[in-house]
Amino acid sequence: MNEEPKTPARIGQGMDYGEQDDVQQVHAAVQREKREPRVGAEPLSIWLIAIYGLAVFFGGAYLGRYSGNFMSGGLDPMGAPPTAKKAVAGPGGGEQAAELSPRDRGKKIFAANCQTCHQATGQGVPGQYPPLAGSEFTNGGSRRMGMIVLKGLQGPVKVKGQQYGSAVMQPWDKTLTDQKIADVMTYERSDWGNSASPVTAEQIAALRKELANHPESFTEQDILGAPDEDLPGGAPAGGAAPKPGEAAKPGQPPKPQG
Amino acid sequence: MKGLAPLFLGIFGTFAFSWLGLTVVPNWQIGHLDPQSDEEGTDIYPQPQSGMFERGAHVYAANGCIYCHSQQVRADYAAADIERKWGNRRSAPRDYIFEQPVSLGKMRMGQDIANIGARAPAEQASPSPAGAAAPSASPSGGTSPAASAAPQGGAPAAGSPSPPSSPAQQGAAVSSPPSPAPAAVAASASPAVSPSLAAGAPWPVQTAGEPPMYSAAWHHVHLYSPRSINVDSNMPSYRFLYEKHRIRDARSADALQLTGSDAPPQGWEIVPSFDAKCLVAYLVSLNQSHPLKEVRSVGGAPAAPAPPAGSPPASPAPSK
Amino acid sequence: MNAAGIPLKEPAISAVAGDTEQLERAYIDASTRVPVLMFYTSAMAWLILGTLLAGFVSFKLHSPDLLSDISFLTWGRVRPAHMNVMVYGWASMAGMGTAIWLMARLCRTVLRYPLLLVAGACFWNLGVLLGVGGILLGDSTGYQWLEFPGYAAIILFVAYTLVASWAVLMFRYRRGEQIYITQWYLLGAFLWFPWLYAAGQLMLFVVPVQGVLQSAVGWWYANNLLFLWFGAIALGTAYYMIPKVIGRPVYSYHLATIGFWSYALFSSWTGMQRLVDGPFPAWMITASIAATILTMIPVATVGLNHHMTMRGYFPLMRYSPTLRFTVFGAMSYTVFSVVGVLISLRSVARYVNFTQASVAYSHLGLYAFFTMVIFGSMYYIVPRLIGREWRYASLIKLHFWASAYGIGLMTLMLLAGGFLQGSSMEDPSLAFSESVETVLPYLRGRSLAGLLLTASHFIFAYHFGLMLLGLGRTSTVPTFLNPVEAEASGGH
Repeated sequence: MNEEPKTPARIGQGMDYGEQDDVQQVHAAVQREKREPRVGAEPLSIWLIAIYGLAVFFGGAYLGRYSGNFMSGGLDPMGAPPTAKKAVAGPGGGEQAAELSPRDRGKKIFAANCQTCHQATGQGVPGQYPPLAGSEFTNGGSRRMGMIVLKGLQGPVKVKGQQYGSAVMQPWDKTLTDQKIADVMTYERSDWGNSASPVTAEQIAALRKELANHPESFTEQDILGAPDEDLPGGAPAGGAAPKPGEAAKPGQPPKPQG
Repeated sequence: MKGLAPLFLGIFGTFAFSWLGLTVVPNWQIGHLDPQSDEEGTDIYPQPQSGMFERGAHVYAANGCIYCHSQQVRADYAAADIERKWGNRRSAPRDYIFEQPVSLGKMRMGQDIANIGARAPAEQASPSPAGAAAPSASPSGGTSPAASAAPQGGAPAAGSPSPPSSPAQQGAAVSSPPSPAPAAVAASASPAVSPSLAAGAPWPVQTAGEPPMYSAAWHHVHLYSPRSINVDSNMPSYRFLYEKHRIRDARSADALQLTGSDAPPQGWEIVPSFDAKCLVAYLVSLNQSHPLKEVRSVGGAPAAPAPPAGSPPASPAPSK
Repeated sequence: MNAAGIPLKEPAISAVAGDTEQLERAYIDASTRVPVLMFYTSAMAWLILGTLLAGFVSFKLHSPDLLSDISFLTWGRVRPAHMNVMVYGWASMAGMGTAIWLMARLCRTVLRYPLLLVAGACFWNLGVLLGVGGILLGDSTGYQWLEFPGYAAIILFVAYTLVASWAVLMFRYRRGEQIYITQWYLLGAFLWFPWLYAAGQLMLFVVPVQGVLQSAVGWWYANNLLFLWFGAIALGTAYYMIPKVIGRPVYSYHLATIGFWSYALFSSWTGMQRLVDGPFPAWMITASIAATILTMIPVATVGLNHHMTMRGYFPLMRYSPTLRFTVFGAMSYTVFSVVGVLISLRSVARYVNFTQASVAYSHLGLYAFFTMVIFGSMYYIVPRLIGREWRYASLIKLHFWASAYGIGLMTLMLLAGGFLQGSSMEDPSLAFSESVETVLPYLRGRSLAGLLLTASHFIFAYHFGLMLLGLGRTSTVPTFLNPVEAEASGGH
């Protein structure tokens, strides 16, 4: 701390209050004050190091014991597995999904994706959305219906003698898997008094491949131009086998504690 | 200490370490959760909430409800929350992904209300699991899946400020008293005092006084006069969220059913403000009873292959 | 030797400070007068307002119908208003006042750019005013200690930027090679706060993180504000005041270094333990609990360093107001941290989470630790700014005892009440309302403690007001708590 000797004027540099005169009378509190604090250099005691060790040990042990394996899903501090997904009860349980028939699965898919327009009753909305109940497309061959579902439909269309036109049906090939499209079609073809043949995922997969190069939505002409037939390889009505293996993935086996 | 560089670097370094560790890494881990759905892409939970819910969440925060009520259920091995029937499973991060602000809470001078909406009588429970699973029950015209399970009760009373978001969602998602008839009539005539949770939520539904417990009408009376429902209650009343009107032609559909000293004078009625309606809409939407894959629901499948998720003494200590 | 048998003479190593140094300090003190007094005066005004709000909150908790029909006096708004007035109005402003004075002293240069500070104080007051008004009118955001609505938060941030840029500028003008311990803490506080505040605001309101992470960010913010802003200022202040008043070097440089870095490293990782068993990956919470356990390292280190510095000089607390308040605060730091460890362990947290015990913890940190240290520093600094001594020793004594008993009683009431409340909450055979019934008598006790604190704050405010009006004593002898012969006056 080798400072050049300071003159009052120098020390007072940068002061904005014009209080130099005042300061010349050093306040008693400053005069009697002790030096600015300094620091000694005592070494660490062994006891303190022991406390460090204890704290690090307990902190580390605690972290190891209750870390939940540092997983994002490890809500449980003891690192229990994401609690065996099979234990989930209720309507959303993965297990339950496995037991559903294609038609029931289709009903759920319909509820989530189709019902807003075609309504739960399958009656559609007059003038806006065509009905599915009793529709010639729904009850006809699965090819035409599959084309509509996969690629969507735009422009005017006539169903059950009524003209519909203003709304557009979106293509579902990007959103739903073959299995889901097959399931929902199976459902639509068998509810509300409809009774057409079920549809399998393989049929949809084949149709999807066939239509892969079709860039945009079909129009009524495109649909009517296609033969009104079932897709090849279908099962007879009422006999579609469920595919439990695909529908439900069992929970991963519990991981052992490390 | 000599030299500024180590001091500055250390100051920034230690804090950066904490910032990364406690906010950035968790954000990477659980900051982008999607709603859960089953294999078919249906049965989606949780679902986006209506505009009234959002506004109600802000009313909840602004009036400090969070300083007495928590909204988180702890696991069965960690606390008695589930035994207290505050929920049928612990809360998980996914339960909150559509909430803003999130009011987890730190104090329980009042009950935990993570599931208060699940306790509402069936006709009012907004996105109940049963409804979400089989939305076909309701011929909903709304686009939001959340709307599907709600009763198509009266739209918000005339004269209330216009809602901040899509009116279609609002009218459908929640509305104060469920029917155009006065609440008392609805309550006394309503056989639907049964728990909404066919899925197995264990809450007893009691009927205290006029409106069914935990119904929207009940919440309004409770907010207006907590001690008329529970004499021991420690909750302040929120009368400033309610308006006193002279009855013009007929009683408003959403007027509060008050008795005793709380009742307004003859010819007057107490009706909820829009904020009060939003707050109640928010409350009746709080419902974590839907199963989540990542946590175990109480009363779940009996044949769980793994030992119960946490019974700390039972599970072998993960000694390393 | 004085009556207490204390060697009040300085150890041989420190020669009596020369005239030049005295003059230098006098200049520095004079240059800090306006900004520091501005911060202190504002802080005192907020302290009184916050105290009134606190009393209101405390009474309403067991008498819920008190004035509950008025929207801006509803409990749920007055409570955050009280907390934020105390945190941002009182604690932050008083802490900044002390920090500014210490920075000027330790940089050994007169305070430059005072206008930055004056503007900073004005904006800060404006921000707090708008924020508290916003909360009372129903704009609260609902996140602990971040309740201020956006328009107030931005003003606070601007105000803070002014103060922090002043601190960095001042630091460039410092003289002398050594950077004293206090400066580490103060620099840390000045640099941590903006990052913390900006991160909290951005991650909660501007680009909100998803779902429960908001709560995590909120508690991360609140805890770090407690440790890295208030705690750092208080520890820095204690590291200055204790050796300064007793005129003895700090015991060990090594301990100070370890204490500082372990404090920065570990205490910044706490916070998630408040969310124990919540909907979070367990590692987040456990990491914070482990960090809380590890905060025993800085606690032991800093505590030992202070203790060894004070050893043999404890009887001086009988005389010096500064020392008495500061040492009380420094000891409370240990208590606060130990309580923090105890209530965060999972097996204990099961019973105290969601109870009044967490309120006790916040009060221990913000009042018993921080506020008491800051009171001590104000007793030291204000006479140097004004040129008068504190007028009444009796008022200082009253202030101390009312504060000490008040906060002690409050902590005990809230901790005990919290434990009982949690125990009955964890017993499902009892109705929930019984847990509330259990804690109510303790809340009444807390209200009583609040009355003591209210009295102490009014006494201090009155005394401070006398000083501001220039009504302090003109004397060469400081105001000691108990009579002592002139020789003893050396250190204060």
